[in-house]
Amino acid sequence: MDQMLPSPGFSIPSIGTPLHQPEEDQMILPNALQQQQQQPTTSQSQVPPLAPMGGLTPTLGLGMGMSMPHTKYVPGFALPITSIQSQTPQHTMMSPMVNLGGSSGAAATPSMGPATPSPLTPMTPHSADPNIVPQLQNIVSTVNLSCKLDLKKIALHARNAEYNPKRFAAVIMRIREPRTTALIFSSGKMVCTGAKSEDDSRLAARKYARIIQKLGFPAKFLDFKIQNMVGSCDVKFPIRLEGLVLTHSSFSSYEPELFPGLIYRMVKPRIVLLIFVSGKVVLTGAKIRQEIYEAFDNIYPILKSFKKQ
Amino acid sequence: MSYQLYRNTTLGHTLQESLDELIQYGQITPQLASRVLLLFDKSINMTLATRVRSRLTFKAGKLNTYRFCDNVWTFMLNDVEFREVQEITKIDKVKIVACDGKNVGDEGSSKK
Repeated sequence: MDQMLPSPGFSIPSIGTPLHQPEEDQMILPNALQQQQQQPTTSQSQVPPLAPMGGLTPTLGLGMGMSMPHTKYVPGFALPITSIQSQTPQHTMMSPMVNLGGSSGAAATPSMGPATPSPLTPMTPHSADPNIVPQLQNIVSTVNLSCKLDLKKIALHARNAEYNPKRFAAVIMRIREPRTTALIFSSGKMVCTGAKSEDDSRLAARKYARIIQKLGFPAKFLDFKIQNMVGSCDVKFPIRLEGLVLTHSSFSSYEPELFPGLIYRMVKPRIVLLIFVSGKVVLTGAKIRQEIYEAFDNIYPILKSFKKQ
Repeated sequence: MSYQLYRNTTLGHTLQESLDELIQYGQITPQLASRVLLLFDKSINMTLATRVRSRLTFKAGKLNTYRFCDNVWTFMLNDVEFREVQEITKIDKVKIVACDGKNVGDEGSSKK
């Protein structure tokens, strides 16, 4: 896998971060708290300091001179961390991270402090409501099976498949768990839609690839990529869309005769939000989960200021 | 050309078996048997479209699998209940093979 560049504010769901399990939709702050709490415990267990791995952050530069011959090169991921004791909380299972700066490996990490070590936690603005977390509703991903496929054979032998070449040049296949739909093309490329989480999307894509494999095609699983993520949430108060379109005219478009929702195109992160009078918000266009959360955190204070009294 | 769908029915199978028997006894040629089956296809399609009036509805507990290929739908249903005006029949497993009904109307009216 290629090394991740330190990029603050982005989670890396696509590499199957173990923490993105059912708890993933909880608040970000407790998540960061959880990560903070994990770090002291795992750091204790590492007695020999390991050599730093590739993809170093600037702060880990200290550790460069510490490589020992017997330590193994752990190809893991280094997230940028403000303090010296670096931990990749999400990868404690995969790659026990370096505990630099401590000649005795068990340097405790109490100095983490309130400044969250993980840049995954956005600096939530004061008026953000920590109780509302957008729920992911749909994830679209693509993968390359990298082998030519005989769509008619697939449609005849696989279950739950539709193939109408006159209308659409792909087989539409569905599985029940995770409940998803896949478009499988003769080139070997596949689109997987309908999953509610990144892991589900990847798992579903793997299941489709397995079905294709079982039918006798040499299917591989190359370049899995999440192309779009859709989330939704409810701010629980009505919104004055007219006011919003007046003040944020460069970002909003509101045409009630065409569509009852205001279309807000946020620049950073590049997310499109559909904002409705009821207070329900749909966020789409994200490549990673963090973008959805960030976009909602950005829009919430704005929506609060346009609350209908 | 009518659908040869109905050859896979009780009526269709008994016809095919009778024809095979006649061919065995040398009383008809295979070519004649083939013509008979084609005529059977045309007749059954026309008859079902025009002369059959009864209506049956069904409701399944579960759609096990579906398939759509070559414009033919194949469904496997579980726990099905067929209902015809106060008479119900319950079946555990049902396979439905369905062809497009759009063309059938033309068949009856076209002249040979």
